[in-house]
Amino acid sequence: MNVLLKTLTFSLALTLLFTFVTYLLPQVKGEAPVEKNVDLGSLTMEDFIALGDDIFHNKGTCTLCHKPAPLGRAPDIEGENMVALAEERLADDRYNGEARDGEAYIRESMVDPGRYVVAGWGKKGSNDSESPMPHVDKPPIQLSPMEIDAVIAWLQSKDGNVVTVVLPDPEVAVEVASAASDGGDAGKVPAPAATAEEALARYACVSCHALDSRNVLVGPGLVDVGARLDKDELRQSILDPNADVAEGFPPAMPPDFASKMTVKELEMIIEYLAEKKG
Amino acid sequence: MKQKKFSHAGGLFFRMLRLFVMLLFAGVSLPSLAVADDGAVNTQERIAPVAEVRLQGQPPVEMVAAPAQKKAQVVEPEAAPQPSRKDYPNVGISSRAIVWVLAQMHLFFGALVLAVPLFVLMIELVGVFTGDDRYDDMAHEFMKISLTGFSITAIFGGSLALALFMLYPDFMGYMMHVFGAQVLVYALMFFFESFFLYVYYYGWNAFRYGNLKWVHLTLGLLLNASGLTIMLLANSWATFMMAPSGVNEVGAVVGNVWEIMKGPLWNPINLHRFIANIGFGGAVVGAYAAFKFLSTGDPAKRAHYDWMGYTSNFIAILAFLPLPFAGYWLMAEIYAYSQQMGITAMGGILAWLFIVQAVLIGTILLAGNFYLWSGMSRTDGSERYKGLIKIIAFVLVVSFLIWVTPHTLILSAAEISLLGGSHHHILGPLGIMPAKNIAVNLMLIATFLSFQLYRRSDKVATVGWAPLGNALLIGVYVAAVANIVFLGVYFGYFTNTVYKVGSSVAQVGTTLVVIVFGLVIDSLMFRNARVLSSHWGRIPDRSQYALFALPIAFTWLMALMGYVRSSVKTHWHVYTVMKDNSPDNFIPTIGYAGNMITLVTILFLLCVLFMFWVANLSGSRQAKPEPVVGGVA
Amino acid sequence: MEAQKNIGILGRLLAVVIAIAIMLVVFYGLDHLIMGMQGLPLNPDLSPAG
Repeated sequence: MNVLLKTLTFSLALTLLFTFVTYLLPQVKGEAPVEKNVDLGSLTMEDFIALGDDIFHNKGTCTLCHKPAPLGRAPDIEGENMVALAEERLADDRYNGEARDGEAYIRESMVDPGRYVVAGWGKKGSNDSESPMPHVDKPPIQLSPMEIDAVIAWLQSKDGNVVTVVLPDPEVAVEVASAASDGGDAGKVPAPAATAEEALARYACVSCHALDSRNVLVGPGLVDVGARLDKDELRQSILDPNADVAEGFPPAMPPDFASKMTVKELEMIIEYLAEKKG
Repeated sequence: MKQKKFSHAGGLFFRMLRLFVMLLFAGVSLPSLAVADDGAVNTQERIAPVAEVRLQGQPPVEMVAAPAQKKAQVVEPEAAPQPSRKDYPNVGISSRAIVWVLAQMHLFFGALVLAVPLFVLMIELVGVFTGDDRYDDMAHEFMKISLTGFSITAIFGGSLALALFMLYPDFMGYMMHVFGAQVLVYALMFFFESFFLYVYYYGWNAFRYGNLKWVHLTLGLLLNASGLTIMLLANSWATFMMAPSGVNEVGAVVGNVWEIMKGPLWNPINLHRFIANIGFGGAVVGAYAAFKFLSTGDPAKRAHYDWMGYTSNFIAILAFLPLPFAGYWLMAEIYAYSQQMGITAMGGILAWLFIVQAVLIGTILLAGNFYLWSGMSRTDGSERYKGLIKIIAFVLVVSFLIWVTPHTLILSAAEISLLGGSHHHILGPLGIMPAKNIAVNLMLIATFLSFQLYRRSDKVATVGWAPLGNALLIGVYVAAVANIVFLGVYFGYFTNTVYKVGSSVAQVGTTLVVIVFGLVIDSLMFRNARVLSSHWGRIPDRSQYALFALPIAFTWLMALMGYVRSSVKTHWHVYTVMKDNSPDNFIPTIGYAGNMITLVTILFLLCVLFMFWVANLSGSRQAKPEPVVGGVA
Repeated sequence: MEAQKNIGILGRLLAVVIAIAIMLVVFYGLDHLIMGMQGLPLNPDLSPAG
């Protein structure tokens, strides 16, 4: 029994020692890429570039290989001016792609990396004729065209170059989304409202506020709200309705519009209401 | 008289037969006759649904397939399902944790019971060729102590299958669809395995000598053949999940089952698991021997279990030495299949796990070496090599430290947030692979040297060229070390990545040359050598703890590397084909993985204890209670 | 059983040095061979060629 106790203690202690080693190491989680809902209605170029930055460092897994020497297994894209390099490579004899400008070159290098292999970085033994890089629009990376555009925008902007990528057009994006989804829209964020009336209907403003009279439904009528409040006050009363409740009314207005409305929708509503002066 | 009796008996028989046929006929025909009497009832109506209501004169409602969903399946009948999060049953505990524990336990015992018959067969063969009954008895004992392991493997395998079908129904449905009848072949192999196992084990003493021994050896071979087939079939599932083949990019089956099985990673995994299983099995039975050695004071028994422990350790270390090369091949194939997957393993978050791997391998090598050195006290000729052991120990410890230190302990929280799944820039020059490659190759060479010295310790060479042979051996070791250091330093730090990776192959090649040269030179040099006496059992008790450290480190290492192998798929069930949308589709922190691994290691330890205990139970017999004299006081 | 030649301490040293030299040449060849097999040719001074 003594032997059993000794050996068990020894084995257990050794096991715990190994466990302890794992605690000394950085505790990093490798999250699976999350589907992000980008709000195209309020998307600015800055957001778009930030999105590209994020994709490059996370979902795109680009930094697994593209990192500074001596750790990198592919050119250090982050440290190089890709726009200038793209021009050089387009002029190179070894280039066999179809791109005519820098933006097209960068896109091509992502979806068909074999078109131009940077000297020294080809597949082992292929003498730089084959690229080891996966096609980023295919699994397992599977970036959407919009995400690829975002990465291009970031690559162009990070060295102070002109961003030539155009922002994704909400209407086009909506069409693409509905074509792709094939019914069963559950769980998808609907496209942002196109007009102020649509937005007012969507957020159910009209169920409590009369828009064309002073009649009180639940909240005050809004026909003359533009005369009572200026734009900033309007904005505040929507985003933080309970800060200043109109006299005689219960604080019943939902306080969560700030997180539901797009910036564009909010601005449309404010413009619309500001015009209502009686 | 006889004739008559026969005919009488015959008459009775025929009468009985006639009665039986009549009964049978009546049994079959009566019910149908009864129905026929009813007239209106026919077969069509008997099988028609009972409750079909329709207006008089209207045609019956046609049965149609359910709409939309069915239609979509018709268009693309074979594509892998893409379940959403709500398709994964939630039992309140992490599904991954459940499957993790069950799968790992199944694999531990599976590995054990595949490996043990393999080296048991080898030892049995040695026994046949040397005519030494001790080998035969030891082989039999190895079988005895692992026999319960077969049932335990099956129990965990069954539980694992149930857990998978319950917790991951879509995924398992897809796997069954892809592999089809292959899984039935797998099940069939278990019948063969059990059959050969029981005949092999229980027939050990019945088929012990002469031609029957060869029957017995054949049974052992067939047992191993069925066991290996089982492993190969199961491996194909794991490698299909990592690198699917025989299916198109949406997971529809386009090839036959052979093309599905023969993925790019199948053979590397087969080889790696095969070798590792032997090492693992050797380590586990070594612990048994060590335990028995420590528990007894009887010199004869101590000698027996010392020898058994030595053999087990020998098997474990011998299998362990080529393992890095098999691992290298596997990693190279992973890189060739998908550079991204390779880097996820070796350069991403999972790269940190290789630090733990380094600690474990270091433990194994140090324990193995320590045991070899302690074992030298058994022989009288070991004094000659005492000095060298200090050098070996020094090389081992320094290499081990190089292997482990650089990454760890220097990271603050801010640095961790910078890390983002990649190497950190503070990693000193020792942190990248070249330094580690140098260290690991030197450790392997040092371990081989220990092994070689141990083999030499009870012999004195008598061939004329022995001094020259020794000089050549020194040359091999010195030049090999120089070459390994040169390759690592020059290509690792002064050329590009491609050459860096390529040079590690040359390093491994150098190590292999040392092992081959060492074995060849020694086997030639110690032909007809003078053998010094050796004394089994003459070994300090503390050396036996090395035999416990070995299986613990092996078990932990196996669980760790299995986890890495499974995790390189990241958020995919079947890489690039079927996404994992379950709540557990992320790579957990290293600490969490460490907890899980420790949990399975301890569970395994307990089950192994049970297995050994049962094995010893069969040999013990309770003494008959003495009849009580007199009444109760 | 043949008698072992007594080559003396200097002889042993010389044998070791020669053995190291021979093995260095062997490993030099091995490096060229293994790197070449992987499509990574080396110059005579072992620097990457091409």
